[in-house]
Amino acid sequence: MDLDKRMTLKDAVAKYIQDGDTVYYGGFQIMVPMALTHEIIRQKKRHLTTIESSTDVGGLDILVGAGCVTEIHSAWIMNWYVKAPYAIRRAFNKGHLKRYDISNFGATSALIAGFLGIPFIPVKGNIGTDMPKHNTTDIRFVDDPFTGEKTTVVRAWRADVAIIHAQKADRYGNVVSYGTRGVTDEFGAMGSKRGVIVTCEEIVEPEEVRSDPDRVIVPYYKTLAVVHCPYGAHPSACRGYYGLDIRFSQYQGKYERHEELLPEFLDEWVYGCEDHAAYIEKYKAKFGQEGLDRLKPVLGFTPKLAVDYGYHDPACWKGVPLYTDDRLKAYEEAIAAKKGGK
Amino acid sequence: MTAPTFKLTELMAIRCAKEINDGEVVFVGVGLPLVVAGFAMVSHAKNMVMFTEGGAIRATAAPGLAITVDDPCLFTNADASFGMLSTMAALQRGEVDVAFIGGAQIDKFGNINSTGAGDWTKKESFTYFAGSGGANDMATSGKRVLAIMPQDKKKFVEKVEYLTTPGFLGGPGEREKLGMIGGGPDCVVSTMGVYRFDDVTKEMYLAEYFPGQTVEKIKAACAWDLKVSPNVIETPSPTEEELAIIRGIDPTNFYLG
Repeated sequence: MDLDKRMTLKDAVAKYIQDGDTVYYGGFQIMVPMALTHEIIRQKKRHLTTIESSTDVGGLDILVGAGCVTEIHSAWIMNWYVKAPYAIRRAFNKGHLKRYDISNFGATSALIAGFLGIPFIPVKGNIGTDMPKHNTTDIRFVDDPFTGEKTTVVRAWRADVAIIHAQKADRYGNVVSYGTRGVTDEFGAMGSKRGVIVTCEEIVEPEEVRSDPDRVIVPYYKTLAVVHCPYGAHPSACRGYYGLDIRFSQYQGKYERHEELLPEFLDEWVYGCEDHAAYIEKYKAKFGQEGLDRLKPVLGFTPKLAVDYGYHDPACWKGVPLYTDDRLKAYEEAIAAKKGGK
Repeated sequence: MTAPTFKLTELMAIRCAKEINDGEVVFVGVGLPLVVAGFAMVSHAKNMVMFTEGGAIRATAAPGLAITVDDPCLFTNADASFGMLSTMAALQRGEVDVAFIGGAQIDKFGNINSTGAGDWTKKESFTYFAGSGGANDMATSGKRVLAIMPQDKKKFVEKVEYLTTPGFLGGPGEREKLGMIGGGPDCVVSTMGVYRFDDVTKEMYLAEYFPGQTVEKIKAACAWDLKVSPNVIETPSPTEEELAIIRGIDPTNFYLG
């Protein structure tokens, strides 16, 4: 097997995201797929539906503000650093956006049902609130067939394509994400119908990934495209690589807030940048290398627990007689004699 | 000795931390709860178990101030990290003692709105906030709910405009009827005082007022006719030591500003 799935951000989005797709939007408050968000905006994808549990730093807000998304299923969306989802608010008010609210574990369970390939799954939350009243698309009630009790169920969510950011991937598309196992990314990604587009901080050798397969959240066969993209989650954090850029999130948030200003942000930071490397260069030109330097994490927390994935070779049994003892032999001989006597 | 000066947000956080008992499993929501949990873990509740939505399970305070519930620092020397599935599943299994949440709006039955202001069906005028996040799941299944939020008349309302997170819903017995395994709201700490819930009516009442506040001022910052405990007391001012701890946790006043 030597399928090299590495490609540019531009090619990955052009090839694998179609207008009208349902997209699993990866990350949580960190590891938000911002480079992919910008590229989807650049390519003016339209009528996307997004599914995810919670998402921060305004990534989904600018995706809605740029007119790419017309339907969102989510538990929590905002730019936490300006305390609002401004573009989403406006799009909802104007009727440009359908929004389906659900709790975090409702969303996670919907993604797990998609991951499991089952149609729906019971959850304990959401019942008794306004969410099931306004979102019968995702949340319903059934009688538990075993006890007869009224039970909340959520519909399985399966994306056409998943977009995620991870620390590392190899060229085949084995995705390594550590610290949270991507929060919900393994479910959203594995439940996708066509597959996964991943941006990553580092491309590593398949031999390195295979030396520690427990850290893989998406195996290569599910991956469509691997994009090497340093700072691909900026301004959200990427564990072990950079912290959250609060100042930039606040800066972007001010543009999100004002409808007439947001297009200028998009012109400068998205349409005006050929790719994510150009966006980072623009950042350095405008806010200085010290802006990026400030995001450097405190490192030195490599695992102290030595792990050896050693295996056992069953060839060692070759020529080894079966284990027995006098009791077993006597018992077996007695059975044989009884059979023989009939 | 002069009394230390402090901000009401600092007292809110310090007072709230005292609602956490040592050894409890606490599911810590986004925002102020992250600061309060950090305080509890280095002061009186050193054996507290910390859960976050990002999936961190911790026996020790995080090395830095967590800005988000999947903040990298929550996973640095964590005891376990699995993703959201692990901590949220523990809620459903009934293993969480305290569901610790913030919110935008709370009503007299402790129901919380974090979805938006206005009538959702009138789309043109509804002002979206972030949404439930994990608060709904936490308040449904945590054994008791501890809520923290700044107080004003728009935040402390008779009935929430959108019911995102269940308190006692419409009153006594309603949670039980829906099969919720958690016991519901136990305590609310605001920038003005401390509230508890009547065992019979399930209505929120004032149990403590902060130094500098009065029952009248607090009633005026509450949109319903707030009942006051006959044993209402003034919350003790924080000590210098407590203030030093809380200021050390949030040195830039990200949450306490």
